[in-house]
Amino acid sequence: MPGDSGGSVGLSWRAAPFNGPALRYQVFFGEQERGPYTQLAEFPANSHYKSDADRPWWSWDRTKNVHFYQVKSTRTLNLVNGRPYFFKVALTDGTQSLEGPVRSAVPEPNLFNWNKANNLLLMIVFSTLVLISISQAKRRPNIFLRRIPGLDAVEEAIGRATEMGRPILYLTGSDDMSSLSTIAATVILGQVAKRTAALDTQLKVPHRDPIVMAVCQEIVKESYLEAGRPDAYREDSNFFITSDQFSYTAAVDGIMLRERPAANFFMGFYYAEALLLAETGAGTGAIQIAGTDADLQLPFFITTCDYTLIGEELYAASAYLSREPVLVGTLRGQDQGKAFLLISMVIGTILATIGAFTGTQAFVPVLQLFRDFK
Amino acid sequence: MTLFLRRTLPLLLTFLFGVAFAAQYYIPHPVSEGALTEISVWLRIILGFAMILGIASLCQVHYAKIRTRVAGWGYSLVVYLSMLITVAVGFWAGGQETGTGLGWVYTYTLLALQGTMFSLLGFFVASAAFRAFRARSKEATVLLVAAILMMFGRVPLGEYLVPAAGPLAGWLLNVLSLAARRGILIGISLGGIATSIKIIFGIERSYLGGRE
Amino acid sequence: MRELAGKLLRLDRRAIFVLIALATLIPLLYPVGLPIRVSPEVKRVFDHIESLPAGSVFLLSLDFDPASKPELYPMAVALLNHAFRRDLRVVTMTLWVTGTGMAEKVVSGVASEYGKRRGLDYAFLGYSPGGANVIINMGQDLNAAFPADHYGERTADLPVLRGVRSLRQVNYVVSLAAGTPGVESWYVYGKEKYGFELGGGVTAVIAPGLYPFLDTGQINGLIGGLRGAAEYEILIGMKGKGMAGMDAQSATHFIIIGLILLCNLFYVLAPGTVVRSFDPSAPLRTGSAQDRTGSPQEGQR
Repeated sequence: MPGDSGGSVGLSWRAAPFNGPALRYQVFFGEQERGPYTQLAEFPANSHYKSDADRPWWSWDRTKNVHFYQVKSTRTLNLVNGRPYFFKVALTDGTQSLEGPVRSAVPEPNLFNWNKANNLLLMIVFSTLVLISISQAKRRPNIFLRRIPGLDAVEEAIGRATEMGRPILYLTGSDDMSSLSTIAATVILGQVAKRTAALDTQLKVPHRDPIVMAVCQEIVKESYLEAGRPDAYREDSNFFITSDQFSYTAAVDGIMLRERPAANFFMGFYYAEALLLAETGAGTGAIQIAGTDADLQLPFFITTCDYTLIGEELYAASAYLSREPVLVGTLRGQDQGKAFLLISMVIGTILATIGAFTGTQAFVPVLQLFRDFK
Repeated sequence: MTLFLRRTLPLLLTFLFGVAFAAQYYIPHPVSEGALTEISVWLRIILGFAMILGIASLCQVHYAKIRTRVAGWGYSLVVYLSMLITVAVGFWAGGQETGTGLGWVYTYTLLALQGTMFSLLGFFVASAAFRAFRARSKEATVLLVAAILMMFGRVPLGEYLVPAAGPLAGWLLNVLSLAARRGILIGISLGGIATSIKIIFGIERSYLGGRE
Repeated sequence: MRELAGKLLRLDRRAIFVLIALATLIPLLYPVGLPIRVSPEVKRVFDHIESLPAGSVFLLSLDFDPASKPELYPMAVALLNHAFRRDLRVVTMTLWVTGTGMAEKVVSGVASEYGKRRGLDYAFLGYSPGGANVIINMGQDLNAAFPADHYGERTADLPVLRGVRSLRQVNYVVSLAAGTPGVESWYVYGKEKYGFELGGGVTAVIAPGLYPFLDTGQINGLIGGLRGAAEYEILIGMKGKGMAGMDAQSATHFIIIGLILLCNLFYVLAPGTVVRSFDPSAPLRTGSAQDRTGSPQEGQR
């Protein structure tokens, strides 16, 4: 069978000119050419066509009037790759039977699953788009990005903390460094650290992941250097608490209640601890800014924080602030990918609707390009 | 040499394995499937060691706090004692929970503490809702109305009082929320693919720790 | 009146906490027993288990920790009751280390009620580190992924696992999940590759996120939150913790609705309130303000 790992055989034969529901096909299997043959299946002669198989047009011949039956390995029938097996098909009306010639087939594993070719193509196209966008951003760093309104709120929060003489609490989320939202959170931390360095405001960054902590330590140190305030940098501004979800939450809640930071930043990916953190912070009267792509936690942040960067606004904010070509290019590539999918969905919906109303199959090849085949 | 081991080799390995296992998805051959099995076994071994690293990191941090007597160092002592007692009890019970000391520790500390922390959410949702669900603007009003409809329609009392509330809440979930969720999923998935591409091709290196 | 409204807007949170506590406790002590409508997504899980012939292999993965016990434990009890009644071969496991004790307790507890014997009628494989990698391993070779069950007995020798070499031989998998690894992991690394039928049971907060999977048939049913557990208990004719909690959930929801309506009434009556109409030219703010001095939202009241 095309596209599988072996262990099965596909049988196809031209339909008899006198097919009808009264007639039935029988499929026989034997391990030797001489037999004995065992009946594997029996079905009406007007069923089991090749065109009925749910397979894509680029890897499947959808010729009409050709029957098809797949013989798979089961608990009682074990087809071994590389070994020949023998099959024959008979047409019967219940009393008489017309047998076709014996054919042999050898199940073999495939090197490539052509059913997934559309998936591979889309992945290559999107990846190329991202890489090209990054290289364009490196050559032309001033690609237009609209200003994210939440960035004003970030400035305001830092200003408020400075006026009140209280620290800023910054959380980078619950995921590790391979997560896009954590990367975005660390970039925004760099910008926040520059401002706190300039205004001499204390910054506290509790962590759940040691690698994220190591990265943030370097980011904050660099930011203080760039702001010309290396003397103000504190080694303990980034500290590790624990990686356990609720232990971390309890510890951060304790910090909020004891030290009463004036501004809390919740950037990155969060799980159930989101509301526990944000509500406790709200109770202390802190100004709170959240930025997350954890859509399930967004409602909690929206109700408890003064401003929330939703989903890709977080990535955009980090790209806007840092102007790092990699971030800007990635964002642009993602936006182009999304634009392509949007257009495809609109066109696909129109074509599928026309197809549903008119009964035409003409648009099926286009629609199948975006389907997932196994 | 140090640079090769700290930077070049990890990046090379990331690239090779990244490409190989991206390709594996499209190759049904048993050799490919076997490679996937093998690598997933290795990943499980590595994750097991990562747990040890996590514990070691925790011990190091809290030891430093005890040694330097920072504010709250007593809690670090509690962390150590709790960990040692649980491990000792676990060994003594042979890793079994039923009717053993480990089961007692699990049921009356871990279960109780985690359940308590999570149950705080119920109270916090109520206070957040009281403070925040105000019709300040049209968007806030839409949010408020949707929240009330969902809360009304998802409980038996709401459906008892207004039978249409249940199907309406179901429609909000199955149509509006579903559509929004799909859009978000597409964005997140594209973001995930982009990040993976950058990591495989060595463009994104912050996961290695430290900066360039 | 307006001053009172202003004061009530700044009501101490602890008063709200007390209301919620009472709303939870009183219905638990004095249940009312309101009727519960069964939703189609829960019925689909039930119908699928009903359709499985006796002796079919049913894998239940209890992927949650004690924090999510109130919502997911009743689901586990209901599903196990159903599976044992249908005489299915029940294989259970967990991908969350802190859930192992709970998982073991629920499986052995329900099994003993039906006189089911460990190793013969059901198996508890326990926990194995690796998350999604465990699923991949099980998909290739179950005995290699779990050489021994939770009690140290070789899985290759367990009669209940006879003929089950990998996930391909499992008839139905249900993952009860509170996060990751969970239902999505079982789909992406399990069903997508190995082709078994998959259902999900999740906490109410993550249930909306799984409706796209339900809609496309990637999962064939979804039990969401305590409400889902209660619905399943109704379907199997069992009175469990799911149904017991529904009155309390009704009461708390209505308390919250009442608080929201009251706070909006106070908000309108309180001095200085101006209900703002939407200005498209103003920068979009998605936050909800703390109405206190120093809040950036104060100027918009």
